[in-house]
Amino acid sequence: MLFPTIGFAVFFAVVFPVTWLLNAHNTWKKVFLVAASYYFYAAWRPEFTLLLLVSSVFNYCAAFAIDHFKYRAQRLTVLWLAVAANLGLLGYFKYYNFFAASLMNAFGAIGVKVDIGFIEVALPIAISFLTFHALSYIIDVYRRVIKPTTSLVDIMFYIGFFPHLIAGPIVRANKFLAQTTGPRDPANIRLGQSVFLILGGLFKKVIVANYLSTGFVDGVFRDPTANSSLDLIFGMYGYALEIYCDFSAYTDIAIGIANLLGYEFPQNFNYPYRAVSVQDFWRRWHMSLSSWLRDYLYIPLGGSKFGTWATYRNIMITMALGGLWHGASWAFLIWGSLHGAALVIERMLGITGDHGDAKRGRLATAIGWVVTTQFVCLAWVFFRAPSTDAWLGYFATMFRGRSWSTSVTPFVAFIFALGALSHILPPRWFVTLEKRYDEAPLAVKVLVPFVVIYLISVAAPAGIAPFIYFQF
Amino acid sequence: MKHANPTEFEGPRPAGTLRTAAIVIYATLVLLAVSIPQSVVNWLTDMNGNPVEKTALRGAEVVRNLSQRAGVAAVYQRARDIFIAISGVEPD
Repeated sequence: MLFPTIGFAVFFAVVFPVTWLLNAHNTWKKVFLVAASYYFYAAWRPEFTLLLLVSSVFNYCAAFAIDHFKYRAQRLTVLWLAVAANLGLLGYFKYYNFFAASLMNAFGAIGVKVDIGFIEVALPIAISFLTFHALSYIIDVYRRVIKPTTSLVDIMFYIGFFPHLIAGPIVRANKFLAQTTGPRDPANIRLGQSVFLILGGLFKKVIVANYLSTGFVDGVFRDPTANSSLDLIFGMYGYALEIYCDFSAYTDIAIGIANLLGYEFPQNFNYPYRAVSVQDFWRRWHMSLSSWLRDYLYIPLGGSKFGTWATYRNIMITMALGGLWHGASWAFLIWGSLHGAALVIERMLGITGDHGDAKRGRLATAIGWVVTTQFVCLAWVFFRAPSTDAWLGYFATMFRGRSWSTSVTPFVAFIFALGALSHILPPRWFVTLEKRYDEAPLAVKVLVPFVVIYLISVAAPAGIAPFIYFQF
Repeated sequence: MKHANPTEFEGPRPAGTLRTAAIVIYATLVLLAVSIPQSVVNWLTDMNGNPVEKTALRGAEVVRNLSQRAGVAAVYQRARDIFIAISGVEPD
């Protein structure tokens, strides 16, 4: 069930009133939202709802086991076992075939034939997201940030809540569980913000991401060597806009929907292509993942406490694993490692600034923005290319300077411009718009979403592709 | 595009937000169902066809017929044709 579909609209039209009607009966409301979330997840593969259930029950019990022990070493042992079980499940479904193939290839390279076989099982949608939610809960319990909840429904609700279930944002256990203790206050609904997040998300996904994808980017990446160098350059920038518009659309809609149901999700994007350093980029892109990696991986590894080289090692490990989290392939590992290397180089050069860094002059900030943007866009090629041959061919053809003709149509160029607007328009315009909307008469409040969705429908492509981050 | 930042919003929120939100959601859906009725009919036609869905489909067909008679559905088709002609994208 995709957000920009009639099916989801009908689903939400049922979930919204029932949620608020049950608001005074908090437990029943949560039971209802869990049931609705499992129904939402079952729309893809009903059998994988069992995975959601098993993960919830296991981590519910694991948290109690961790909390039961008094001594840190005991708690740590149970935590490790629970983390291993969570990662084992993720590894089985997502990484087994990748590691099996890599191992067989490595042995094959030294002339030893090893056949450990492959597994034929579909990858459960969103397994990486639900694993990170589960880990957040048991690690927070281990750190005594939160007490284990006595309610299994709360954990099922936290891990399975449908707006964030498929592609985030990754909501911290302590932040979310604090919202489940009692009825939600309807006065916390920020209607203007939610409406514009949902409308903006629909526009970014249905119009910008879909047309960039089907109208240009997919074709360029399908056979890079058959394209001109200029088209490959446009393809690289096009994919950068596409993945931003696709992924930020999902999380914007998720945040808006959750707010309409009375729940708060964290911000996930903040104009990432305005970043003036790679560190700045990771403060703006998929913020809930980067802060998760920082708090649950980088800092436990030692962070920057044990000297320069240990810090560099920890950055590289964090970013490489962060890359691998996205998918089981060498390309994702390379993508993450490249970002890790860039962060290390920035540290070596003392570049840690953002737009507010008073020590950097305007020229240095501008150069930082140009270099960061080019690096990020080049690295996306690894992320998007379907195989090693594809990205090798992509870069070889692009840098060879083969032909400077382009197949970009005026319509695709217009979509590029619309995508770029997402980073050019000042944020205060949207704040003003939301404020005006909140103050507008009811008729205007209804007409705005109707007209925007109507116009999006007029211009929508025939079918809506799944969100890119669904595969993760 | 503006991104969600729950800490950004300041100032009092109007009373009756839930009622307003409900009106906005349902009125928008009803207006869309009336102005683009064929999409609802197509969606229900693609379903399995249990008694509830069959009843909903009959209802959607009634709405579509009324919308067509009032000329509302034609506005959408005309707008879509103009968009396809201008953009050069593949027709449905």
